[in-house]
Amino acid sequence: MRADVPEKLPDKFVNQELKNIDYPDDEKNVTINGVDYLQSQAPVGKFGGELVISTIGEGPKTFNPCNTKDATSSSMAGLMYDGLLTTNPRSGKVVPLLAKSFEIDENDYTIHLRHGVKWSDGKPITADDVMYTFEEIVFKGFGNPSTMDAMMMDGKLPELVKIDDYTVKFTTPRPFAPFLRQLTYPIVPKHYFKPYSDKGESVFNAFLSPDTPPKTIVSNGAFRLKEYVAAQRVVFERNPNYYKINLKGEKLPYLNKLVYMIVGDTNNEILKFEAKEVDVLSLRGSNVARYKLKEPDSDYTIYNLGPDTGTLFLIINLNNRKDRNGKPYVNPTKHSWFANRDFRAAIDWALDRKNMVQNIASGVAEPLFTAESLNSIYLNNYIKGHPCDPNVSRESLTKAGFVNKDGILYDNDGNRVEFDLYTNAGNLEREALGVMIKQDLEDLGMKVNFKPVEFNSLVNKLTNTHDWDMAIMGLTGSPLEPHDGKNVWTSKGSLHLFNMRPSDYKVDDRLDWEKEIDDIFREGALKLSFEERKPLYDRYQTIIYNQKPIIYLYSPTRITAIRKKFKNIFPTPLSGLIYNLDEIYVE
Amino acid sequence: MEFFKYISKRILQVIPLLIIVSLISFFIIRLSPVDPLAELRLNPSISKETLDKEIKRLNLDKPIYVQYFSWAKSFVKGDLGYTSAGEKVSTKLKERIPNTLLLTTIVIFMTWIVGLPLGVLAAVRKETALDRILTVVSSIGMAIPSFFFAILMLIFAVKTGWFPVGGLTSYNFNEMSFAGKFVDISKHLVLPVIVLFTISLSGLQRQMRANMLEVLDSDYVKFARAKGLSEGKVIFKHALRNAINPMITLLGFEFAGLLSGAALTEYVFQYPGLGRLILEAVMKSDINLVMASLMMGTIMLILGNLIADILLMITDPRLRGVKG
Repeated sequence: MRADVPEKLPDKFVNQELKNIDYPDDEKNVTINGVDYLQSQAPVGKFGGELVISTIGEGPKTFNPCNTKDATSSSMAGLMYDGLLTTNPRSGKVVPLLAKSFEIDENDYTIHLRHGVKWSDGKPITADDVMYTFEEIVFKGFGNPSTMDAMMMDGKLPELVKIDDYTVKFTTPRPFAPFLRQLTYPIVPKHYFKPYSDKGESVFNAFLSPDTPPKTIVSNGAFRLKEYVAAQRVVFERNPNYYKINLKGEKLPYLNKLVYMIVGDTNNEILKFEAKEVDVLSLRGSNVARYKLKEPDSDYTIYNLGPDTGTLFLIINLNNRKDRNGKPYVNPTKHSWFANRDFRAAIDWALDRKNMVQNIASGVAEPLFTAESLNSIYLNNYIKGHPCDPNVSRESLTKAGFVNKDGILYDNDGNRVEFDLYTNAGNLEREALGVMIKQDLEDLGMKVNFKPVEFNSLVNKLTNTHDWDMAIMGLTGSPLEPHDGKNVWTSKGSLHLFNMRPSDYKVDDRLDWEKEIDDIFREGALKLSFEERKPLYDRYQTIIYNQKPIIYLYSPTRITAIRKKFKNIFPTPLSGLIYNLDEIYVE
Repeated sequence: MEFFKYISKRILQVIPLLIIVSLISFFIIRLSPVDPLAELRLNPSISKETLDKEIKRLNLDKPIYVQYFSWAKSFVKGDLGYTSAGEKVSTKLKERIPNTLLLTTIVIFMTWIVGLPLGVLAAVRKETALDRILTVVSSIGMAIPSFFFAILMLIFAVKTGWFPVGGLTSYNFNEMSFAGKFVDISKHLVLPVIVLFTISLSGLQRQMRANMLEVLDSDYVKFARAKGLSEGKVIFKHALRNAINPMITLLGFEFAGLLSGAALTEYVFQYPGLGRLILEAVMKSDINLVMASLMMGTIMLILGNLIADILLMITDPRLRGVKG
């Protein structure tokens, strides 16, 4: 432990909002000499300079925006390729980007493209590129097919028609709320991609691998690839053909270069920030206090972006099915406890989330009680949570027929309450959580065998062999679209971990509340307006909160430091710190 | 003639060895509970269809022996296959091998240039102040774990700002002049070279000292001295030539370590070499990449031993008549 830093952060800092930031107005469409530009309303900056960011891991696996399966690859390909629409970084609304505008009429989505905008090689971007991207890549399931899956409604894909060179129309088979957001899918140049996609999927998947000569790549995003050096860095340079302009009518982006340093782990990232080799650092745990203390006489500013989409939770196995040999996945005695809502409630009330936040996350987190993450626009604000109160737990246990004899808990058949708690070994945060949860539950007289196992073994237990009792896990949610959680919440979802059914399972043994959640997710996707959808998704969060198959613990807070010389920094809880790379400039 | 017969026999022996090594490693990797798709499985936005597609692509739906034979078939044809992320294994290796070779050859070259004379010196001046100092220094060098030493060096780089924190080139490397590029790479290499040099130097120096002492103690050296030869002639003409023989075998092992010997140091310094690549590959059970590197390591080891044997035949007349 370091002695020269405070153990915990002052509450004031942790809860500080981004209220002093003077956000610019939303971007506008401006037509100059027949070219439909998108005009940034941010203060006019200086051209030139570079921003150095770090990315943890082994670097991008591909620059093909249609075939990205990991976060690094998709954020880099995302810099190079814009989609028709995008998400407003503050409101979360879907707004035009590469498209000039769009109209929705029942199931028809008409998209108008910008006139006069060009690919990085100077060729115009037209409806043909849009048609090509969707018909020959997305709808065929090339690359990463998750967009195709998300667009599929009852096994049917939307129809796409070209109206003229600058207008296309999508028609969905029925109203489908999550559809609009799928149009943020990157649009790719037909003249550059088609020769490869025509050769079949395996050629297409290998296309735009990181060793592709950068000069040959045709893109439409704010930055284009300049250099890729394996295991060291990826360098982007400004795309002179980009269609966004500033208030003076000058073409963005401001930065000449954007450098991603590929670093192996967070320790190295911190060292590189200390040595001033990178400009942005995302801070975790006890580091926050240290950097905050040094901030006043440093060259960086620290922003608190609020809770992130990550959630940590305790999940309980409600599975009562049997494996192929007729052996129950979960011991029937244990299942009788786990299936009892009062037992789960007892666990929930015994967990001291405040303590976890202070001691495990060094205060850089917020207690969590809802299935939606704290920065979700669909967060159920009526769920306020509850304090830790072992007395409530004891009452629930008594109600459920459990007896505590000399500090040891027995069920009403006289079985000692004992179960296994898993998590992935090597994740220090989860291991510390496990120890704390074990302590909290043993105070109730339960016996908890805490077993950190290798990550892959844990995943195998959860998704395949189902032989686990409880586990500490984390999943990343979507702050904008609750329907993305359908794999977790619907009863036949592939990540319905707390009650997994085989994919070919025919028996309808859904619990009442599982049925209700299935209905909510089906109905929620059909409703198009936020006002109609909100009550439905509020209801599902209430059900999870009451039934507690998953007991949420906390969400980490994102705290990021960036050098002061960078201007036009408008952090938002939804999009983070440097989402507007085309507007950021060096003073 | 005997010589070539011996070499071809040695090369033929390699084949069963490679088969055994590949079989054992393939099965161990595949039977371990590591799932290359674990992360995808826990990603809520990845559908069942995508997962099935990936399982098919990586051949995970087939029995292990079928996977092994399909791997072996393409390996024999010279095709190393694709990584689990879909990149060519051969390209990945080609990106990294020159970087690792650059680091390890510099280190090996420096170690031998400095280590052998120091060893000889320590042996000749046995139990003088110089020998004692060298003993202490090399004991420290041998005792300090490489990763710990590397971390100390990194902290040194951050605190002083004299050296870059890891990597091999700066981000504006491509815009530099030739001299600038040379200086940039050198600056990046200084710290990892210091770490690896210190550690391997100690071992080599001690080894050479021990060999030399043994030889100096032998009868023929005593005889040479008794004959009235000058001390220089005794040491360089008689003792050194005999003391160097075991070092040649060691050189063979050094050759095997050319590609894999620096893995830990590479990892700490974020050096873009093979070490980092393979460590990651093992963690993710990226079978083609791991197999390629294991095969490479095996071949290098065999090759190193072969080279050492040939060198020994040249330096040691006693071995020349011996049949393999």
